[in-house]
Amino acid sequence: MKFFFHVGRYFKLLGRVFGRPEKHKMYLRQLFHEIDSLGVNSVWIVIIISVFIGGIMTIQFAYSMSNPIYPNTLVGLGTRDTLILEFSSTMLALIMAGKIGSNITSEIGTMRVTEQIDSLEIMGVNSASYLILPKIVAVVFIFPFLFIISVFFGLLGGLVTGPIAGVISIPDYIDGIQWLFYPYYVTFSLIKSVVFGFIVASVPAYYGYYVHGGALEVGSASTKAVVNTNILILLFDLILTRLLLT
Amino acid sequence: MIEVKNIYKSFDGVPILKNISTVFEQGKTNLIIGKSGSGKTVLLKSILGLYEIDKGEIWYNKRNLVATPEKERKKMRREIGMVFQGGALFDSLSVQANVRFPLDMFTKMSAKEKQNRVEFCLEHVNIEPTKFHLHPSEISGGMQKRVAIARAISLNPKYLFCDEPNSGLDPETSTVIDKLIQSLTKEFQMTTIINTHDMNSVIEIGESVLFIAEGEVGWQGTNKEILQTQNEKLNDFIFANKLYAQMRREKS
Repeated sequence: MKFFFHVGRYFKLLGRVFGRPEKHKMYLRQLFHEIDSLGVNSVWIVIIISVFIGGIMTIQFAYSMSNPIYPNTLVGLGTRDTLILEFSSTMLALIMAGKIGSNITSEIGTMRVTEQIDSLEIMGVNSASYLILPKIVAVVFIFPFLFIISVFFGLLGGLVTGPIAGVISIPDYIDGIQWLFYPYYVTFSLIKSVVFGFIVASVPAYYGYYVHGGALEVGSASTKAVVNTNILILLFDLILTRLLLT
Repeated sequence: MIEVKNIYKSFDGVPILKNISTVFEQGKTNLIIGKSGSGKTVLLKSILGLYEIDKGEIWYNKRNLVATPEKERKKMRREIGMVFQGGALFDSLSVQANVRFPLDMFTKMSAKEKQNRVEFCLEHVNIEPTKFHLHPSEISGGMQKRVAIARAISLNPKYLFCDEPNSGLDPETSTVIDKLIQSLTKEFQMTTIINTHDMNSVIEIGESVLFIAEGEVGWQGTNKEILQTQNEKLNDFIFANKLYAQMRREKS
């Protein structure tokens, strides 16, 4: 029953979130602020994680394909497809759920417990829309860019690490990342990024918006938000893969 | 003027407010007092429309809030200023941006007009221009309350609500805040309702006092009458502080 209660309240909140803004200019200003704080500030961590994962995957692929019957180009192909299909969309979304999601829950939750949300409501502002809509739009907008950045730097990580570790030559790696390339994989992962972006922004916002109590409850809501966001990301990954890839 | 008529409110079947009727007059500081858990915050939030009441009427001059649709209520709320217990200033905005926020959201004023209004409001609550650019975390608790009052009056409201405006403040700063609210009420002829359990505020500015006990109206009167009352529950509340028991003995 509690599950249905949360689902119902989540969709009810979304109904308010997509209500008509009081003043578009104020929402737009808020949107730019969110793109900067949630998106642009995440670029460095995405680059760092992607470079390392790209490098690690290249070494692991090279290790598991050390049999001479496999062509060396498979290392680049494996790294590329894993990055595009799973890591840069799904794994990155899971990581971002921890970074962006907990940030959103604690920010909105703190506003709730310090009565800042009540203050907006009394002024006549649709607090759900003003606080959550710019975050959802910002994250949905920025996620596909983070995906592209992640793929690029993941491949770069492999390109640098593979030859340094002595597991693959640069020409073999470059051949591999161009071999049997299906552009649809990118489209598929961009669709996933948009869906995951929506989940990463809206679910933590829901948990933050309905916090009751104090700092302890905000912390607990943040944990719940990240856990449930991760579960939803994996569930939708499965659904979208079944619907769009098979 | 705000008039509440026979209002009832319960949570999960537990009655919190029982048949409350009273009038809060314009141009006066109307205080709601009572012990913690007596229902005064529920009453204040019900009058604001943050809680839907079970039964009764809440009249803002000639408009019944209970019968007003949500869209109209939003418009009505623009006539309301609210000072929260903790100030509820937006952490991410500076002092002046906090005061400007309602103007940005609801008016078509030019940037210059808005700035003039912000300065007018902040000067009225004695905030120095050097503090305008600071963030709420960089100013004292008393100053945060004054900025919250400035924000509350920025749209020139007809009604001002204050939920325990003195909580967490020292007695001297509390008196400053009390006097400030009273003077603004007179100057702008607002209907001001203050929720408090601070007896100093009652004595200082309680032009009209409503005592809530166990969700009901326990007593109503003025600060001049309160020390003479024979109401047992109210006496228990007031004279828990020995200073006021001493004052009463001296008066009698």
